[in-house]
Amino acid sequence: MKKTTAILLVLYLVIFFNTCAKKKPKVEPTPAKQDTAVEKVDEKTPVVEKPVLTEEELIQKKSMDELNKEGNLQRVYFEFDKYFIKDDMKPVLQKNADWLMKYKTIEIIIEGHCDERGTEEYNIALGEKRAESAKSYLTSLGVAANRIKIVSFGKSRPLVNGVDEATWYQNRRSEFIIIKK
Amino acid sequence: MHKYLILLLIIGITATGSWFLPAQQEITVKIREGMPMVPVAIPEFVFQSGSQMDEPTRALLYETLQRDLEFSRVFRLIPREHHSYISRFNPASINFKDWASIQAGILVVGKLEVTTENRLIFQVQVFDVTNEKSIFSKNIGSKKENARLLAHSIADEIMKQFGEKPLFTSKIVYVSGNQNNQEISMMDYDGARPIRLTFNEAVDLLPSWSRDNERILYTSYRRMAPDLFLFDIYSGKTSLISSGGSNFAADWSPADDKIVYSSSKKGNHEIFLRNILTGQEKQLTFNPAIDTSPTWSPNSREIAFISSRSGTPQLYIMDTDGANVRRITYEGSYHDSPTWSPDGSRIAFVSRIENRFDIYVYQLSTNSYAKLTENAGRNENPTWSPDSRHLAFASNRSGHYQIYLVDYDGQNVRPITGAGDSRMPRWQKTLH
Repeated sequence: MKKTTAILLVLYLVIFFNTCAKKKPKVEPTPAKQDTAVEKVDEKTPVVEKPVLTEEELIQKKSMDELNKEGNLQRVYFEFDKYFIKDDMKPVLQKNADWLMKYKTIEIIIEGHCDERGTEEYNIALGEKRAESAKSYLTSLGVAANRIKIVSFGKSRPLVNGVDEATWYQNRRSEFIIIKK
Repeated sequence: MHKYLILLLIIGITATGSWFLPAQQEITVKIREGMPMVPVAIPEFVFQSGSQMDEPTRALLYETLQRDLEFSRVFRLIPREHHSYISRFNPASINFKDWASIQAGILVVGKLEVTTENRLIFQVQVFDVTNEKSIFSKNIGSKKENARLLAHSIADEIMKQFGEKPLFTSKIVYVSGNQNNQEISMMDYDGARPIRLTFNEAVDLLPSWSRDNERILYTSYRRMAPDLFLFDIYSGKTSLISSGGSNFAADWSPADDKIVYSSSKKGNHEIFLRNILTGQEKQLTFNPAIDTSPTWSPNSREIAFISSRSGTPQLYIMDTDGANVRRITYEGSYHDSPTWSPDGSRIAFVSRIENRFDIYVYQLSTNSYAKLTENAGRNENPTWSPDSRHLAFASNRSGHYQIYLVDYDGQNVRPITGAGDSRMPRWQKTLH
């Protein structure tokens, strides 16, 4: 049935064009129609070159080392013997949270560190409390808890060596290390 | 004898000092048991007939035994130069009157045989000079390279004969190395014969002994987090005991195969009791503060530990089921690393006062404190000798962390390590 319909349609068109051709021998609109088709192809191209995942891909291209060295996540510092988040450290954690919210595949480990003015044992506990504080602050800002691990190094990994408050301040810290991208 | 009676009288009337009062500390410490030391003379060891004349070995044995007995606080050595005041020592016919004249109470006579197979056979005989009688005699043998061990064994034998706990063949486990690679090592009590035990190439921390002295509990970052491991020194086998959060400060029960340790694997830092054989575990503390650093009482009925439940880390004692918690320290704002003496009478710990870390000793019977270190760097991680008369601790007074020994009364502080950094010593609790 379809074949016969098609044949009939073709026959009809042939007859139609034949009559038209007899009236107007020139076939001018045909090239104009081809020009518009080309224009349509040009319009599609820029859409293809604008992928949403570009920055994600950029992150994926970088090594974990590069990402950590870029300083996307800034460390925060603590008061002597304390593990609460100081007011002046909250903007730092906000920036860290913003970045983590932007790149949702990133997973991190938060290291808790202490200055040397504590014992080996108590500093392991205090360092972990510091890492835990930073983690709960980030999760309160919306970062999923399962993207964050914590570890305490106590006083075993000071950032700088020395015996003054400036040194100790730098060593009482939480560091944010990217472990998965 | 009169002298001793007067000494005892002085002891009786002198009150014990209180904590943090330097003026009274010396009094507190000097009066302790008040037991007079036994004056001992050691004549030069003689070679048995047929022995190789191995002078260095004879000297090593003599010096090691002499140092051990001097260290003991049980014996007092009659100086060698006093031996020249009397007739030359003849092992075949001992002139006890001579030895009595230079105040010797006992005489340690040693006869050494160095065999052609480089074995040592040492005969020790101890005499009561006053009664001119032999107290005991014993033959001890070893390979020549274990001469130090042989001398320590003789010293331990003498301690036992006088009703004292042996300690000279005991070992100290400790941490050595730099910031990025701290490994566990082991040495004799006097710092000799150090041996590195772990090769984790990670930070290893806070080692402690198993009850049988053949295994070491320690914390390692070898898996990137502080996990608790058990290392068998003689088979080289390592097994993971606890992971998740931080797992550290383990102490083995003096009675059986249970350990106590700190862990944050359930979120907060709590103290756990674990049976090493069955893996069965019980949480002993349930406090939102930091609970850490548990140490068994020698009768294994109580556990001393550190808790910040009052706001600052203070010393507490609880029963082994976690009940009956009582606070011990009220002065000071930072205490940690408690360790119960093997005789049960004292708990040593570290206090921080204005960024000074010193070793203190709490005496349970009198509820009093004594300070053992003063004005000399940071002093940490005290640990008792098996006879409770000495402690080892780590100090950075030389610029580097080294391990030092000190007597229970703060006397005779001396370093026993010298190279690199050494810290976190743990002395064996008992010898078998």
